[in-house]
Amino acid sequence: MRQKMTIIFMLLLFTASLVTGCFGGSGEANRNEVTKEGEAQSALASNDEQAVVSASGFKEAPMLAELVKTGTLKPVEERLPNKEDIMVEPVFEQIGKFGGEWNFPWNGPDDKWAIGMPTEEAMFRFNQEGSAVEPNVAKGYDVNEDATEYTIYLRKGMKWSDGMPFTADDVVFYWEHMLIPETFGKALYDCYYSVDPVSGEKARADVAKVDDYTVKVTFKHSNVMFLERLAIDNKWFFAPAHYYKTILAEFVGEEQALEKAKEYGFEDLNNFGVWTGYYYWLYPQRPTLRPWVAKNDMNSDRFIMERNPYYFKTDGEGNQLPYLDRIVLTKMQDKSHKLLETLAGKVEITTFDFTDFTVLKENEKKGGYRVIPWTTPSWSSTGVQLNQTTEDPKLRELFQDIRFREALSVAVDRKEISEIITNGLGEPSQAAVPAGLPNQQAGWAQQWTEYDTNRAAQLLDEIGLKWDAAKKFRTFADGSSLTLTIYQEDTTDNEKFIELIRKYYESIGLKTDVKIVDQGSYFDLKYANKIPVSVKSVNVVNVAFRPDELVPLRVITPWFGHYGLHTSSQGKEGVKPEGDIASILEYWDKVKASKTKDEVQQWTDEIIKLHQKNQWVIGYTGPTPVLIVAKNNLKNVPTLVSSDEFRGIGHAHPAQFFLE
Amino acid sequence: MVRYISRRTLLMIPVVFVVSMIVFFIIQLPPGDFISGYAAKMSTSGEIMDEQALAQLREAYGLNRPWYTQYFTWIWGIVTEGDFGYSLSYNRPVADIIGQYMGVTLMVSIVTMLFTYIIAIPIGVLSAVKQYSFFDYLSTGIGFLGMATPNFLFAIILMFLSFKWWGDPMLGLFSPEFADAPWTSAKWIDLLKHMVIPVIVIGTSNTCELIRVMRGQMLDEMTKPHILTARAKGLPEWRILIKYSMRAAINPIISTIGWSLTTIFTGSTITAIVLNLPTQGPVMHKALLSQDMYLAGSWLLLMAVFTLLGTLISDILLAWLDPRIRLERKGA
Repeated sequence: MRQKMTIIFMLLLFTASLVTGCFGGSGEANRNEVTKEGEAQSALASNDEQAVVSASGFKEAPMLAELVKTGTLKPVEERLPNKEDIMVEPVFEQIGKFGGEWNFPWNGPDDKWAIGMPTEEAMFRFNQEGSAVEPNVAKGYDVNEDATEYTIYLRKGMKWSDGMPFTADDVVFYWEHMLIPETFGKALYDCYYSVDPVSGEKARADVAKVDDYTVKVTFKHSNVMFLERLAIDNKWFFAPAHYYKTILAEFVGEEQALEKAKEYGFEDLNNFGVWTGYYYWLYPQRPTLRPWVAKNDMNSDRFIMERNPYYFKTDGEGNQLPYLDRIVLTKMQDKSHKLLETLAGKVEITTFDFTDFTVLKENEKKGGYRVIPWTTPSWSSTGVQLNQTTEDPKLRELFQDIRFREALSVAVDRKEISEIITNGLGEPSQAAVPAGLPNQQAGWAQQWTEYDTNRAAQLLDEIGLKWDAAKKFRTFADGSSLTLTIYQEDTTDNEKFIELIRKYYESIGLKTDVKIVDQGSYFDLKYANKIPVSVKSVNVVNVAFRPDELVPLRVITPWFGHYGLHTSSQGKEGVKPEGDIASILEYWDKVKASKTKDEVQQWTDEIIKLHQKNQWVIGYTGPTPVLIVAKNNLKNVPTLVSSDEFRGIGHAHPAQFFLE
Repeated sequence: MVRYISRRTLLMIPVVFVVSMIVFFIIQLPPGDFISGYAAKMSTSGEIMDEQALAQLREAYGLNRPWYTQYFTWIWGIVTEGDFGYSLSYNRPVADIIGQYMGVTLMVSIVTMLFTYIIAIPIGVLSAVKQYSFFDYLSTGIGFLGMATPNFLFAIILMFLSFKWWGDPMLGLFSPEFADAPWTSAKWIDLLKHMVIPVIVIGTSNTCELIRVMRGQMLDEMTKPHILTARAKGLPEWRILIKYSMRAAINPIISTIGWSLTTIFTGSTITAIVLNLPTQGPVMHKALLSQDMYLAGSWLLLMAVFTLLGTLISDILLAWLDPRIRLERKGA
């Protein structure tokens, strides 16, 4: 008996080892990496905490000084750009000290932007007031009188994270061999086109090298917003030529490139191009200019980014940034894990939606962190968008009727929404450009905000909507039934809000249905013009920088539906814009052809005024903040505006964060 | 015996084939495909993809072809080159991904399984010997409670208690300070601490069944005449228990051991998600949700193979351990 049991056990073990054997190869590789990291960490731990002063007066992190001592790394003054070209990053509170880790929960490579944005180094970045751009990777720029020639100056002696020089060639290379041939799957960005003010025709820019540290961008027509739009469309206006020359098919040949792709784990050149060209910060092989660079495989349970020894910024006292040694990205299966880890005080700094406000505040003391609310450039925190081109012709006519939108707006008690959904923090108001942002219009926030069901009923009567036999729900004028169908992505958490507005809509006799679909289906439905009503608000700093949500250029925002398709397909598909929508597009062309910033301001104002007049986006409560949660010992965290344009936490310049 | 095994093995091939085809078809049934889900995810993080980019991606991944073409290309790769295809969401070969999570999955599953057996068998025996005693009621009660409580809920409760008492919800398998550290005794202790919740949660859900089977079998065995004989001969009670009654009673448990093969390799999905364990379960869950069909397909294919293999192993074990079972009927 015992013998038989042993044999059974051996058999099971054998099957197990057989199967693991099949997949064993890569596991081995992973283990190797882990031990290497382990060594790196123990080396780190043995350093003392003091910054090390080099002969030239620059100071560097102990972990780098160690490497300099052993001769594997050049001294700090040789790694930084030339003295006069170093970028001095202002610190928010105080000069920091080196060391420490930033624990960063993410859900793996899908979450690439979560780590992409805070570590980004743009050619030009927005200043912290958000009003204009300032040079970042670039040292400075000149622009001629009529905004057709931009001269961009780079920093002498600046280097990529592998120590190779960063020069004008890297910019021109990126333009010629990556942007124009679209090696990373993105069409040439809109900011590189100037518009003929008369014919409206678009002309592509030219990019040329002037000398090793100067690049000139030339436009056929004026392009006054070029730098601002570059700072949004194509922040990374450069790429390491020496690296891409070893992987792009253009240089190594199709076959060799495919082999390289296989080495990286890809099966085809397209995806290889997209990942290494667009999501490049995830690859340790790819040199960058960022404060932290990838150290291991992004699919590891712990993806590590470590300080870039060649980073081009110092603080006011000559300490080479960043202060923090590493970012450790731990993979989380579920988004609630990030919250749990934060409550347990294990996350140095991260961002949360307003929905988690209460639980975060409750555990503030226990978790040893502080909650810093950042404002958002949001038009509202809760709102509804009616698809102006929705499929059903009767419904479309109704949605396009301004009286119907007013009825939906006044039919809702905003105070209740504010109390229940936003804890009273989102003021009852209309969706409007918030105070402090360009194009703000006086009085807009109060438009149609009075709770008045009689007014709503009167409006619906004027439109000609009838009642059904039971006098319960409204019908179309011809007696056919009328239903508003709200589509909702299963990843968002708007159920409470939807239930509330459904109650209000049904109280004025509008039958309301809710359909919850997964993210992918929602995306497909949106493209197929099958979504009549969605709950979404608009988030935009300045329509001139990023028109997508307010001007129907592509299929993106629910309210303009297939008008966007009409523009993006050059009139071949979609619904032809008419009336005020057509005017918006006309004004947008005027913005693009503007010769001065005043002109830009004037035409964007016109666009916004049309939005005010038509209220295509209906809002019920004002914006709520985004919550930045920082450990109490993490210093230099300012209070700013959180937006995609400003790169979220990246706007706070994480290179100057430090742990006390 | 050899003929029986080889015939059963041959029969498995068409079954696996049909299962894999159905599986592949079903994965693609929901509206949309991997690309639409991917594009939606990207748009929530501020990246906008236009139709051209989407078409390009579909072309690159071969998603514009009909499902049966995709299926046969995939199965052909498996049969001829042992290539399980390419995961769209990970941008890596499927075999790499499965390999990455295999070690931890096996460890968690095997430890949990051992825990289950080590706990359940003695409890089963004891509650049979002391039938209707306080211990019998208590252990059976706890067992049923473990079975009846949904695993994820139990995991959340334990996590909450851990957070409440120690300020750490014990997510994952290692604390951050040990994750990259070389193996030391402190790291082992850290690992064991993190294993407590998953082992208890996954383990208790299975103990009940084992306890009941063991208890029932023992009760049956203990009234058999040969036990009476042994007792009459004056053998000590523990000897009778181990040598005679337990040996016979354990038969059904041994013969179902093969069925646990699938669970060992897949791990427990929902519990693993709740506890953030880096095992296969969550990977497959994600693959199914995002319609990453080669990864999900390979997974389900493996599960089908394991289920069939497990059944075969169980049948063989049964035939081998219990001489009363015949493989072929004489004269058939």
